[in-house]
Amino acid sequence: MAYEFRRQDFYTGVILCVLSLGVLVESWQMPRDLQGWPAYAGPGVVTGLLGLGLLLMGLALTIRSVRRAGAPLGISGGEARAYLGEVGTRRLGLMFGLSVLYCLLLGRGIPYWLTTGGYLVVVMFVFRAGPWWQILLISAGTTVAVVYVFNRIFAIPLP
Amino acid sequence: MLMGPWYILVELWNLLTPLTLLYVAVSTFIGIVIGMLPGLTATMGVALLTGLTFGFPPKQAILILICVYVGAIYGGSRSAILLNIPGTPANAATCLDGFPLAQKGEAGPAIGLATTSSFVGTVFGLLCLAFFTPLLGKIALEFQSWEFFWLAIFGIVVCGNLTAPTDPLKGWIAGFIGLLVSLVGQENIAAYPRFAFGSDQMRGGFALIPVLVGVYGIAEVLGVMRETVVPRVVIQIQKVLPRWQDLWQYRRTMLRSGVIGVIIGAIPGVGEDVAAWVSYDFAKRASKKPEEFGKGSREGLIAAETGNNACIGGAVIPVLSLAVPGSAPAAVLLAAMWLHGVRPGPLLMIEFPNYIWEVTAMFILASLAMLILGLSLVRTLVKILMVPRPILMPIVFVLCVIGSFAISVRIFDIWVMLAFGLLGYPMRKYNYPAAPLVLGVILGDMADVNFRRALIRTAGDVTPFFTRPISLVLVAITLFTILARAQWFRRMLVVGSSRVKASLSRG
Repeated sequence: MAYEFRRQDFYTGVILCVLSLGVLVESWQMPRDLQGWPAYAGPGVVTGLLGLGLLLMGLALTIRSVRRAGAPLGISGGEARAYLGEVGTRRLGLMFGLSVLYCLLLGRGIPYWLTTGGYLVVVMFVFRAGPWWQILLISAGTTVAVVYVFNRIFAIPLP
Repeated sequence: MLMGPWYILVELWNLLTPLTLLYVAVSTFIGIVIGMLPGLTATMGVALLTGLTFGFPPKQAILILICVYVGAIYGGSRSAILLNIPGTPANAATCLDGFPLAQKGEAGPAIGLATTSSFVGTVFGLLCLAFFTPLLGKIALEFQSWEFFWLAIFGIVVCGNLTAPTDPLKGWIAGFIGLLVSLVGQENIAAYPRFAFGSDQMRGGFALIPVLVGVYGIAEVLGVMRETVVPRVVIQIQKVLPRWQDLWQYRRTMLRSGVIGVIIGAIPGVGEDVAAWVSYDFAKRASKKPEEFGKGSREGLIAAETGNNACIGGAVIPVLSLAVPGSAPAAVLLAAMWLHGVRPGPLLMIEFPNYIWEVTAMFILASLAMLILGLSLVRTLVKILMVPRPILMPIVFVLCVIGSFAISVRIFDIWVMLAFGLLGYPMRKYNYPAAPLVLGVILGDMADVNFRRALIRTAGDVTPFFTRPISLVLVAITLFTILARAQWFRRMLVVGSSRVKASLSRG
């Protein structure tokens, strides 16, 4: 029977192997006689063991996915284009892109209410959340509420 | 111990102020709404509210989080019954019989039964919490570095095994990643910055709340916004109050599900969803009418809802006695307790002897509020269920951002949250459970410090890890959990048991 996540498991396994090798190398390079503590109490001991465990699991995932039946491991250009063309993928990309943009603008001197209000309006418009007046009202209300609760009541500085 | 009920009453009396009752009502309502809306989970709700209540006094903040936790686990049943979509993973089993009941025109009684069985489950769980936490706390006093190290590994392995039942390897991978994530930054013995790569921000490590909000909140926001299908709500609701005979008729199911919920809750990191499924499965096996399960069985609905809510009390038992969370929302609750200066663990009964009774009293208020609000605000809650996701999700995102930022006032935490959201989304899509990752982030420091401390105490000798009695038990269970998933081991067990049977029959 074809396994649903054969391809995903293969690439995840490879990424885990690379990541865990990086962890092992980094752990090995950590000091082994820090502040007079013996080598077995060094900062890289547990991270090294975890890296080793993750490497074994990454290898198991990779080998298992190669052995299993399912989708071919290679990704063709057509498949990639079809995935990128899906409505869901585009919605995901759009939401993530707008959210990253919002986070990038935070803490750069632009007033918080402007960044947050703007983000809410843009996302709701792009995803057709409702009529324009409703979007403006909800965005403004949310921004005022967040600013009031965090900044005025809890005295937390806003990003 | 015998004075326990009296102490609970005293703590309950102390909590009965108008302001506290207002907090209880509002936060339980918020919890119900969070749990009810598909895409917002109990873990995310508690994580989000941890940021929001950071400025509150510790007692009020923990009370609010407990109310949100109880409300959210219950609230998920509402969308499970009316939409056939579990509001939280804990309510997936509720869909099986809740929605068929709603389709038969019995949405009201189904809501009533779900509410009362959730209440019974929560009360059963909190009674167990009050009774077993001091007992487990006494055993936990025997734990030393060797045992704490194995407890962390045991938690990850068991949690990975149970939250990814079809592919435990993925659960263990998630757990190990969580352990590694927790070790980024300055370590606790010699203050050496691990995996900091020269960054001052990385030296501080990843804060727990941004990681949790990312894995649960951002991943959910992205997942919900990706979908284009809008769910349809069943809105014909008549009588909600359940019939007494229904509750009495299924008292054994409630008791069994309560016990299962508490036991599963007490296992590190497993949580309410597993409790609901196991309770449902046991109820079906024991039922006189198993053929009705999945077609609108009241018994099935009661089993699932009692089980998941009883799990809450169970999940808080190891939080208070061992500082090891029994579920993902309990992990956030533990983090919130740390943030507010409470140090749960074996010394809790010595340092804060009344804290267990205080938490139990908070749970009593939360469960009462859940019962009253759940039975009274039916139509209001249905209206909230109809709020379009494109309105709700960007607001949730803004709250996730501000909640992550508010803890340490660091822009870096916002990026941590976003990065873990980006990790959490494919994890969810490709069947990697988030709970072991969260548990790993919580337990990583415990595993690291205790492993190295134990080696220092024995001058590098590892034998106590395998010879001390409690360690040995933990090692045996951990190894058995791993080996039991291997086919060759299961085959060996079958062959071994058949040989024993054969020799016994010959003898």
